[in-house]
Amino acid sequence: MDLLANLAMGFSVASSIANLGFCLIGVILGTLIGVLPGIGATATIAMLLPITFQLEPVSSLIMLAGIYYGAQYGGSTTAILINMPGESSSAVTAIDGYQMARKGRAGTALATAALGSFFAGSVATFLVALFAPPLTAVALQFGAAEYFSLMVLGLVMSVALAHGSVIKALAMVVLGLLLGIVGTDIYTGTPRFTMGITQFADGLNFVAVAIGVFGFAEILRNLEDEHEREVMTRNINRLFPSRAEFREMVGPILRGTGIGSVLGILPGGGAILASFASYTMEKKLSKTPEEFGRGALAGVAGPESANNAGAQTSFIPLLTLGIPANPVMALMIGAMIIQGIVPGPSVVTDQPQLFWGIIASMWIGNLMLVVLNLPLIGLWVKLLTVPYYVLFPIIMAMSGIGVYSVNGNPYDLFAVAFFGLLGYVMSKLRFEPAPLLLGFVLGPLLEENLRRAMILSRGDPTTFLTRPISAGLLVVSLIVMVLVFLPQIRKRREEVFTESDA
Amino acid sequence: MILTLTRRALMGTALAFGLAGVAAAQSFPDRAVTLVIPFAAGGSTDVVGRIVAERMSQELGQQIVVQNVGGAGGSLGAQQVAKADADGYTILMGTVATHALNPLILKQKPYDPVADFAPVSLLVLVPNVLAVNPELPVNTVQELIDLAKKEPLAYASSGNGTPLHLSGELFKSMAGVDITHIPYKGSGPALTDVLGNQVPVIFDNLPSASSHITSGKLRALGVTTAERAPSFPDVPAIAETLPGYETYSWNALFAPAGTPPEAVEVLANAAKAAMADPAVVARMGEFSAKIVASGPEELAEHVKAEMTKWEPVVTQANVSLD
Repeated sequence: MDLLANLAMGFSVASSIANLGFCLIGVILGTLIGVLPGIGATATIAMLLPITFQLEPVSSLIMLAGIYYGAQYGGSTTAILINMPGESSSAVTAIDGYQMARKGRAGTALATAALGSFFAGSVATFLVALFAPPLTAVALQFGAAEYFSLMVLGLVMSVALAHGSVIKALAMVVLGLLLGIVGTDIYTGTPRFTMGITQFADGLNFVAVAIGVFGFAEILRNLEDEHEREVMTRNINRLFPSRAEFREMVGPILRGTGIGSVLGILPGGGAILASFASYTMEKKLSKTPEEFGRGALAGVAGPESANNAGAQTSFIPLLTLGIPANPVMALMIGAMIIQGIVPGPSVVTDQPQLFWGIIASMWIGNLMLVVLNLPLIGLWVKLLTVPYYVLFPIIMAMSGIGVYSVNGNPYDLFAVAFFGLLGYVMSKLRFEPAPLLLGFVLGPLLEENLRRAMILSRGDPTTFLTRPISAGLLVVSLIVMVLVFLPQIRKRREEVFTESDA
Repeated sequence: MILTLTRRALMGTALAFGLAGVAAAQSFPDRAVTLVIPFAAGGSTDVVGRIVAERMSQELGQQIVVQNVGGAGGSLGAQQVAKADADGYTILMGTVATHALNPLILKQKPYDPVADFAPVSLLVLVPNVLAVNPELPVNTVQELIDLAKKEPLAYASSGNGTPLHLSGELFKSMAGVDITHIPYKGSGPALTDVLGNQVPVIFDNLPSASSHITSGKLRALGVTTAERAPSFPDVPAIAETLPGYETYSWNALFAPAGTPPEAVEVLANAAKAAMADPAVVARMGEFSAKIVASGPEELAEHVKAEMTKWEPVVTQANVSLD
């Protein structure tokens, strides 16, 4: 009953005219910056922080939260339409979403993403309201050993992302791991592979690498063959999914929501893993795994739901512990402190209006997004009919501005150029960029936690097996590995491989 | 005649120059001032910087634009300001890291904390705190020292070479104990692992740990300042157990070396006025930050004193970064 009373209070706070207005501004702004490649929620929220001085604390946080989940929606739009994921979580959406767009099913892909996100967002918001405190306790059970095992599981699953050769996928994961090593070793302070450039002391910028290998590489490929692109833009099917397609997306959306909600609460790589994990699961469960990587609906529905659910539940550690799960959450903490609110366990009891108001606004914001986005899909798809010679310089310029705005670091722009070329070469040689990105994101976390766990256990490696959660995750990794290499599955893989070569 | 004329002309020129000088000082600032914060948005330096920038903008009648240039423990932002035009329109929110620790720790010095900067104002001192997970059976600094002598312990910090790491190293050397240092990427993840009892002990900024201390999820053993913090009068100072122990983080404004003294003075006065504003005082109080709002000379001496204080600690802890 408490919950209902609290939610009622939350809705009364969130549905005041002013707060509805800020929520709307937030989600519109979020969608826009999500659609503009490269400009992410982190940069936008950082730029808007000073403005929040003048607002009520609730209003400012509602608006900033709106930008965050609005950007998650918008980010998938660019991933689908121009293969340009702006956030790590939409990298997976790009795999099948972009293929769907190439086959003229851009409208269906966008609608699927929007509906999946809305459903996942609604469920996850409810979970936040219901379970925030107990779920936080689960997150705190995760120490270095558990994170290490979780990352192992993530890397094992990453192989399933490939729709071609397993060896090539593994090679890309390893390359990603190596790229992730660039930067200062946090235990000894030794710079690694920075080539003496101080600007790389904190490692390569994720946005720069992602925009390079996915986006710029795609632009180079398209410039090679202007003709092919025209064909693609002429076959735009109807925008809304058919009944059969609805049936096809229900399962992936439900499963994606579950995975995303659970992984989102883990501080650090959790939310990133969610979309990858969902993709792997859908591919394993699918009757037609060979469709994945060539425009499978489930490959869009699952990961999109997972990343949106994760985006919502990542508010749990923020609101209950004052601990950021990702850089955007760190900015939210800054916004709270500027308002004179010390984030932490006391927020729920000291500021119930704020806590429940934000939660209620998340659901309202998700509803606004779906209402905004479904009619807008037609507009976004029209974007594809813009001649490419007009579109690509705009994309390049926006991406450049976006990448630079993250840290104000010109070396990030050099990195984009380099990874654009690398991505182009990779695509010529039929290497996939997604496993590379996963290795790049997970590698540093894997290493950091492996070494931390070993220091804490005083050099005893059995710590990974004696801690139950860690042992459980390693067992699951083993099972996944066996599944990947089981003879019949392997055979099916090879079939796929030969087919795609033919 | 000729001589007089020349003299008059010279005087006129001198007068004109003098007036021009005054005019320049009066008109500063005539456009927006950029405040470089050498850390990512959302951290404690960022929060202090934004609150101060907001109020200083009103004092100066010109907007202060905050620019976050994070990376390499604050060195990138500091380096950028060191190389900026010395006109007072680019200033830095310096910290104990950028102006004492990094220059001591880094093997390749990207800038000189004394020669490359014109000090403006020491704004605040921020206490650090030594805290433990409540499951660790210690209630005082002395009990922690006793326990550390008996069994192996570990402490979490926000990273290698940060003020919190060195606060821990100073503690170890003064107490004569060995506690394993576990570095994290920032205060947030370090705090998470201590709350989850993955690591029992932490050195953290008081502002970031304060809500957990109040709620009882962390047990504060001592603050690192020489005296107790007004926001936590019940938490003793570590110096009560280890006389002479004192560390804190601080935030100060710096302009590039060679900035006209008039401009520095305008900025310092604006900072002083901003820090006296009751709203700012209240915010800083909530933040457990002690307001100093010094003039340029005091800041120059403060930097020298800090470098002298930290040098032996850095050498003893054998921390060095390339």
